[in-house]
Amino acid sequence: MPVRPLSWFLLLVLLGAIVITLFPTFWIVMTAIKPPTDWNAAPAIWIPSKPTLVNFRTLFDPEAIREYGVGGVSQAATMSVLGSIFASTTATALSVIIGLLSAIGISRYSSGGRATPLLILSGRMFPPAAIAVPFVIIFSNIALIDTYSGLIAIYVAATLPFSTWMLKSFVDEIPREIEEAAMVDGKSRLMAHLTVTLPLIRGGLFATTLFIFILNWSEFLFALVLSYTNIETIPVRLAKYVTATAGTLYGVQAALAVLAMVPLVIAGFLIQNHLARGMTFGAVKR
Amino acid sequence: MRAAKVPILDASTYSNHGQPALQREPSAPSDRGGAKRRWFVRGLMLPGQILSLIVLITPLAVAFYMSFTDWAPTRGSLAAASFVGIENYQELLIYDTRFVEAVVRTLLLAIVCLSIEFTLGLGLAVLFLRKFRGKSLAFSVILTPMMVLPVVVGYTFWMLFQSNGPVNQIIELIAGPGSAPEWFRSTPFALAIVVITEVWHWTPLFFLILLSGLNAVPENPVRAAVILGASPRQVFWRVVLPMLKPVIVVAFVIRSMEIIKLFDEVFMLTRGGPGTSTETISLYIYKLAFNDFQLAYGAAAAFLVLLGTLTLVHILLAPVRDQLLEARR
Repeated sequence: MPVRPLSWFLLLVLLGAIVITLFPTFWIVMTAIKPPTDWNAAPAIWIPSKPTLVNFRTLFDPEAIREYGVGGVSQAATMSVLGSIFASTTATALSVIIGLLSAIGISRYSSGGRATPLLILSGRMFPPAAIAVPFVIIFSNIALIDTYSGLIAIYVAATLPFSTWMLKSFVDEIPREIEEAAMVDGKSRLMAHLTVTLPLIRGGLFATTLFIFILNWSEFLFALVLSYTNIETIPVRLAKYVTATAGTLYGVQAALAVLAMVPLVIAGFLIQNHLARGMTFGAVKR
Repeated sequence: MRAAKVPILDASTYSNHGQPALQREPSAPSDRGGAKRRWFVRGLMLPGQILSLIVLITPLAVAFYMSFTDWAPTRGSLAAASFVGIENYQELLIYDTRFVEAVVRTLLLAIVCLSIEFTLGLGLAVLFLRKFRGKSLAFSVILTPMMVLPVVVGYTFWMLFQSNGPVNQIIELIAGPGSAPEWFRSTPFALAIVVITEVWHWTPLFFLILLSGLNAVPENPVRAAVILGASPRQVFWRVVLPMLKPVIVVAFVIRSMEIIKLFDEVFMLTRGGPGTSTETISLYIYKLAFNDFQLAYGAAAAFLVLLGTLTLVHILLAPVRDQLLEARR
């Protein structure tokens, strides 16, 4: 189709879409820098006259909020931030490594056959609320409940379909003749894959890693039902702020929400050209 | 490529006192390169398979068994639970109106949300075929909602729709004081929030997938149609859109799978309230299992949902399955 410029009307539509897209994020960021008096003011205050970082400090030092005469938050969010970082990065690394091996197997050796895609998809269709039930039972029996190892195992398994299919779509794009040439030159299969193909899909590997990180970092339900006191992630902490003291800690919650969002928005921007591929298991290339 | 299945007649085949051994897979010892290769491939797949077996298949099997029992955590171990056959399933489908309502509600939500998301996403994608300044920045901005954690999205919209929140402020500014609704106290408004939240969160996905599709539409058929005198509108509806079919189906399949599991946002927004009027299937199953401890019953509900989702995806994929599998190769 011939490329035409935007009319004024369409430009307005686009601007409207952008405003609607940005407004919720704007609101949460503004709330995060509001002092307690502005949190729940009526009428709502859009831009705080005295912006403060006290909400962010309160996340790590519950006593910080006292300078505004508000009672200390019962629990710091430090553990949930560290927990999220630890669980997400470990699970992401494992998922990408295991996914890469499977991706090579499927792409280069057609391992798995035609049924695998549907089989993997059906794993994603099962309501997590229900698969969480047997997890709780099994994990209680083998002392994995309320441990990071248990949570990480689930995260790796849950993101493996994404890492496998996303990486496979990248491996598919590298002609296998290059590897075969390396094998003729005396490299073993494994070394041919690792030293020839891997450098060529560097970009894809990076995109997959960040994509899997986004998925792990966002996960909520499993973390909610599998954590009691020893482990915590940011989404769980966020939900607990709501239940524990609804309506009183807007600013602190918003600060945690902003903190949770920042790494994902950065990661998302870095891989925006590969997001479609990740979300569609490699079916849509770009 | 799988190793070719050529029957190999060598010493090992006749090692059984001269009797031909049973037809074997080609794993004869002399086939060294092939055997080595097979072990190598097996090694590649093994970590993923072991993990899936332990972390996905075992719990599924346990849940499946459980769904035929009357087990509850208070009644001792699962092995001791008594087998009740399909009683749980019967109960769910025939007597449990809350379950049936949750299913219908989730499906309606899916239909409403996906139609809106598709329409808006397609509109935006078509808009991005035009040229304008700052396009790549606008593209990045439009994608941001997708990157926000579902829990944060739920929390943010919960804030936006508070009775003294910014949305009501804007409504009162336009429609006069006292016109703003108490969003979370009425069923239709609470459902509307869920729809608005989902649409905000996931329209970018439709936009992204459809734009990829639009950019991949080959030039020639379009040019041919233009030369033959088709109007831009005809070109779009008759030439471009049919070629987008596989991409559209993929978008719908991915989104239906996710929205049927809808949990995080609703949990943060309404917890299913007021009453059970915004309860989704996942939320209902969650409450069954973790508030009421009816684990066996919840597992049965989950399998019904899995069955339904599988059927739905199967139907959705049918018209484009061959095309997709071709693309995969």
